[in-house]
Amino acid sequence: MEQLILNLKNEIIEVLNLVDVTPEDIDNDAPLFGEGLALDSIDALELIVLMEKNYGIKLKDPAAGKEIFKSISVMADYIAKNRTK
Amino acid sequence: MNNRIYITGTSQISIQEPLCEQWMDSPISYDVKYTRAIDPNFKEFVSPIEARRMGLLLKRAVATSYTVMKESGISQPDAIITGTGLGCIENTELFLNALCFEGENMLKPTYFMQSTHNTIGSLLAIRTKSHGYNVTYAHKGISFDSALYDAYLQMRLNKISNALVGSHDEMTPSYFKLLQKVGYVGGDMEGVCGEVSMAAMLENDSSKALCTLHSMRVLYRPSLQKLEKAVEQVLQEAGITMDDVDGVITGINGNRKNDEEYSRYTEELFPVTAKLRYKHLFGECYSSSSLAFYSAVQCLRHERIPLGMVYGNVQLKDRKPEYLLIFNQQEEKNFSIILLGKQI
Repeated sequence: MEQLILNLKNEIIEVLNLVDVTPEDIDNDAPLFGEGLALDSIDALELIVLMEKNYGIKLKDPAAGKEIFKSISVMADYIAKNRTK
Repeated sequence: MNNRIYITGTSQISIQEPLCEQWMDSPISYDVKYTRAIDPNFKEFVSPIEARRMGLLLKRAVATSYTVMKESGISQPDAIITGTGLGCIENTELFLNALCFEGENMLKPTYFMQSTHNTIGSLLAIRTKSHGYNVTYAHKGISFDSALYDAYLQMRLNKISNALVGSHDEMTPSYFKLLQKVGYVGGDMEGVCGEVSMAAMLENDSSKALCTLHSMRVLYRPSLQKLEKAVEQVLQEAGITMDDVDGVITGINGNRKNDEEYSRYTEELFPVTAKLRYKHLFGECYSSSSLAFYSAVQCLRHERIPLGMVYGNVQLKDRKPEYLLIFNQQEEKNFSIILLGKQI
């Protein structure tokens, strides 16, 4: 799980172009939206694309993203349980 | 049509030192055919949170535009008029490549949002909260000239009292390769392909004027007679003759065909006026004519013309420059004539 979390953080930094942010700066349990990284709705779309492209997870219900993208830990847990690649 | 138009700020990011006029004294010279622009520290203009969704061209446009807004003291221009030949081509390429290689299902929204030509003008409007006239001209090498002409006409007609006019273009490695394939660059061509972001503030108010935009014309496939007439009219509107003009800035770039075209026209139209070049300093791209404008403004502002700009047999007049004429043409189709003067 630790390796998955690290990979996920690196992927998010790359995909969202988080200049000057390192994996260590991202708290595993901090909210990704609103507070923490302060991501927005366009970032949510980027994360949906990331999940499908890198882990083969297709989110059929966009509303589910709200729960899945709660924090890095929640996201990693969801990926570990549902990934197809 | 009597409103006078003054330039109260200009700024550039190019293959020379950015956001300054170091090129006038110690220009950087290149012996490569292709190079990217030298970027300033964007953190002075854009926060990291904002920057993450901005392509390079957008950051450059923000940096040059905010520099001239600061210089002119105008934070909300009446109009934002932008020229760009290729728009945000780097992001367009990323978006199209993803479309080709990964299909339509997994496209990144950010690249898509930035893949239109008018992203630049829109971003500047959002950031400055300017809800006025906002237009982008995408006409290859005449894009800047078209944008400037729009601002010129609207200010002359008293529709607006100031305008932020800019021209911004990237040169990606893949687009450079395409230009090489069609023989426009590379081969025996001297000179370099570069990138440009240039912004200028035009105002009716003369209190902070660097120089005056006296008159201009944009023409499509004119005959030599029509060009002669247009030059005559431009000079007439400023109340001067060709004898008063210190130099004609042309777009020679080391490409044989392009330079022969310029040579033919300038010998006919301006046989006894000094010729000035700028593309050997700033390189070639669709927005490079904006740097002819920028260079002219800086020469008039600093009251000197760097000797490295002079080419041909006609010497400069022994005085501080008072009038500079910009003559731009693209493949003998699109032409522009722009007259700038020191006189405020």
